[in-house]
Amino acid sequence: MIELLLIIFISFFLGLFYSFLIRKFSARLQWRIGPLIFMYKDLRSIMGITRIIQPLYDIIKLFGKRTIIPESSRKRLFIYSPYISLIFAFTSIFFIPFSSIPLLSNIPYSIVIVSYLLIGSLLFMIIGPIASGSPWAFIGVRREAELFLVAEFSFIISLFSMAISKNSLIIWEISTKEFNLINITAGLLMFTSILGKLHIKPFDMSEAEAEIVAGPYTEYSGKLLGIYYLTKIFLIYDFIALFISIFTPINTLPIYLSIPLFLIISIFIIFILSIIHVLNPRYRIKNALIWYIKIISILCLINIIAMVI
Amino acid sequence: MSSEIKLIKYTIKKPITLRYPSSLIPEKKYSQIPEGLRGLLQRDNEKCIGCKACHYSCSGKATTFQYRENKLIIETFILRCAFCGYCQEICPEEAIKLTKTFEITINNPNEKEAYVTTELDLVKCKNCGKYFATKKFIDKTYQRLIEKINPIIKELVMNDYKKIEEYCTDCRRILSIKLNTHPKKYVWLEG
Amino acid sequence: MSENIINRIKEIYPNGLEYKISGNWLIIKVKPEELDKIAKIMINLGARINHITAIDLETKGFEIINVYDITHANISLDNITNIIFKANISKIKPEYPSIGKITWQAVWAEKEIKELLGINPIGLPDSRHQFLPYEWPNPVESELKEIPEVNINGNYLQLKMPIKEAYQSLIPIGPYHPGVIEGQVVYVKVEGEEIVAADIKTGFHHRGIMKLIENRGYNRGVFLAERICGVCSGAHGLAYITCAENLFDIEIPERALYIRTLLAELNRIHSHLLWLGVVADVIGWKTGFMYTWGLRERILDIIESITGNRITYGIWRIGGVSRDISQEIAIKAKRAIEELKEEFSKMALEITNHPVIKSRLINVGKLTYQQAFNGGAVGPTARGSGWKIDVRKDNPPHAIYDQSIISWEIVTDEGCDSYARMIVRIKEVLVSTDIVIQCLDYLSKRSGEIRTKVKEVPSRIEAIGLNEAPRGELFYYMKLYENNNLLQAIRIRTPSYRNNALIPLMLIGCNLADVPVVMGSIDQCLACTDRIEIIRNNHREIMSWKDLVNLSIKMSKKKGLL
Repeated sequence: MIELLLIIFISFFLGLFYSFLIRKFSARLQWRIGPLIFMYKDLRSIMGITRIIQPLYDIIKLFGKRTIIPESSRKRLFIYSPYISLIFAFTSIFFIPFSSIPLLSNIPYSIVIVSYLLIGSLLFMIIGPIASGSPWAFIGVRREAELFLVAEFSFIISLFSMAISKNSLIIWEISTKEFNLINITAGLLMFTSILGKLHIKPFDMSEAEAEIVAGPYTEYSGKLLGIYYLTKIFLIYDFIALFISIFTPINTLPIYLSIPLFLIISIFIIFILSIIHVLNPRYRIKNALIWYIKIISILCLINIIAMVI
Repeated sequence: MSSEIKLIKYTIKKPITLRYPSSLIPEKKYSQIPEGLRGLLQRDNEKCIGCKACHYSCSGKATTFQYRENKLIIETFILRCAFCGYCQEICPEEAIKLTKTFEITINNPNEKEAYVTTELDLVKCKNCGKYFATKKFIDKTYQRLIEKINPIIKELVMNDYKKIEEYCTDCRRILSIKLNTHPKKYVWLEG
Repeated sequence: MSENIINRIKEIYPNGLEYKISGNWLIIKVKPEELDKIAKIMINLGARINHITAIDLETKGFEIINVYDITHANISLDNITNIIFKANISKIKPEYPSIGKITWQAVWAEKEIKELLGINPIGLPDSRHQFLPYEWPNPVESELKEIPEVNINGNYLQLKMPIKEAYQSLIPIGPYHPGVIEGQVVYVKVEGEEIVAADIKTGFHHRGIMKLIENRGYNRGVFLAERICGVCSGAHGLAYITCAENLFDIEIPERALYIRTLLAELNRIHSHLLWLGVVADVIGWKTGFMYTWGLRERILDIIESITGNRITYGIWRIGGVSRDISQEIAIKAKRAIEELKEEFSKMALEITNHPVIKSRLINVGKLTYQQAFNGGAVGPTARGSGWKIDVRKDNPPHAIYDQSIISWEIVTDEGCDSYARMIVRIKEVLVSTDIVIQCLDYLSKRSGEIRTKVKEVPSRIEAIGLNEAPRGELFYYMKLYENNNLLQAIRIRTPSYRNNALIPLMLIGCNLADVPVVMGSIDQCLACTDRIEIIRNNHREIMSWKDLVNLSIKMSKKKGLL
């Protein structure tokens, strides 16, 4: 039971650390400094030693700001959907194994539960802005929904091709079975869906500030926006942990090996994501959909061949 | 795809961000200032003769002057200053210099730091008792006059100038007949 | 020789009241009723309108001034580059036939005349306000004696939407929007994400700089002219100085000319790099923004070490420049520029071949050669549509741009879209670095005078000064009082003023995601401009020139003017 309590803190701090890393990596790749790991010596007394939890500071700052609720919004939906989204993202951390610790992932149908929880979280990220009544939010949401559909498609196919080939609907069982070709092909499919779901460039068109201001979050401010940011922290952890535990044989290793390995692999994934984020401009939604359909159809085909083998 | 990957080689570079201020130590605070930066202007009170040329040439109308009792006060409001350097160029005594100070932000425009001020003592007019110009300015005018004047009338002008030196411009005009210094007499001398 | 020229122009247009040659310009006085006829003749000959403006002559009425550029027209008048047509109109009935109904090039200029001076160009196709809000009553059009109170909640012309068009949504981009750095509104009507109609309204920060310069004297005006725009301040300074020197008609020492060229080209490089960064930012590529602005920082450092300031150079003087460049700095700057050129040319290759950038820019914001010509595009926008105009060659400012002394060439591209404009700008950066290196070579090897003494009294009564700013042709016009050598009026036309008028034309048929790209692709500078707006109807097809003329005729008939 103690690990269920611990995972709350671990997932929160890992999520913060990952979003810090995305910022730091992309800053360094863009000739910038980014949030400092070690503060300048003469400024330590004022600024603190490190800025690793800079994402948390941003959220705390948002919580201190005034929340404005627009007149034209559907107030209940507008206010509650960030919280529901957070609850979904938060709950899913218990069903994803963390480096050879099964948590709740060995209960029956856990793969179905996780996929529903993650879909639900993203769904309420779409529904809340719809209720806000801003034209920018509508366009942002439209883009988000279109992207969500294609990204979800590859997400589900990848998860359930694993489930079928490993002959189980329990994440823990899938992750502890032997590693073979299907892990790689389905992993690639999953990776493409993560790009869309975490809004890694070129797929950040729903938050394109130059075109549609802040997209879905235009009308959100203060605490409600902070809640959405918090949701994103948990979502980053969810996707990374799910990816590592399902597609790598990490859960078969003993715990003292698997925890450092988990960290190394996750940092590597974040690094790859940052490089993609840095090197690409944003697609138009049309181009993104075409790209997804093209890539998914190829990867699915390979995936099916791998499954048959 | 290829040129996306080729761009990776540009990503590996030292950050070009400069820390500002580069240190909290005052001497090392601004290490990146180049030579010849046009910053806050400085007026040398010793050299300044109060000719007001900087006022008339100021492009931003930042430099103003006023007579206050026996003082001539020349002020430059630095929030209006455009750092064009035109006053430095035009100043006959090279009293104005643009320094390398560039951090001139102030909270209150009424503060003393918002102005570069020069106070000069004025000379009293012998006739009407009005304060009218600085001693240096009168001397300088005299020197200029001798340098540029036609040698035929030089001596005459020098004598005349000595007579009217201590009167203000209004009194010079009024007294010109009495003292026999009216400039019209030079005209036929020059031919 | 001058009689020869006048005879030749009389063959084209015989009805002028007075013909005069002054420098490179031919000045013709005409009757105001004939201005539209002249415009038709000149446009048919392939001449381009530089600017149309009017001056208040106080008790003598108004003077309408039309400046045409004939360097690319089918007339050969030896060394004449510009023809200036002037017409006097009375203040009792300030009207003249609009040139805007002949060519779109004149529409925004005439709107400015109407707004600032109250002259009514009869038959102007778009008679809405230029600087004031649309809802503001129009004292020129309606015969109002006094301005009534404005209903703030009044009818927004464009925001009203009939119910049958409810499947469309109207999106105002601006006045404050993260994609557009400065204040302007582009109203776009979208179906899904496709744009079916667009309209632009500027005038959010008109500062009246022209009026401020007028009572400031020739020497002090340049500092204000530089502050019109932060990015192309160097170009503004050079254009002002060129205009003022044309007025005084003086020779400038060679070294000063080289320093001017150097600074103008450094200005162009940094402006184009800035532009590339802005476009990268607008298409969501923060990295490109950081890289190009990182390179731009080095240019700014060079400028700072030469002039003492990064943005406003403040070294332009009538008769030369105020600061010399030491040999040490010249050598240092040359090394830095060479390094930058090598790095940038390699990086630009990767940027231009990047598949996502290509997909965002190719076929976005189409502007054909004919549209560019009719609409009066200038600068890289025109050159991106294959129109080979460049003031530096046609009508050079007072700097060294002689192609026999400095080797450079005009860059054009036939692509007619945003990508072509990017290519033109990237190539121009490389051409400019070449010019800069040649200038620095000269400056580091020789020495000489940098300033001549200015005459006390101007030798001409009016002058024009042109310069190729990074965004296109920059136009300055100065006129003196007839009796006291003081500046009566100065008129400035910035390049973005022309190019902004073409935005709605480029937007139709684009995706909503392309709006900032199209606006960015012409490198609009609203601080420079602030005077522009255009209208399109809700038709999917782009309106042709004839349609607009017909529309204007219909409108005039409605009002009983025809």
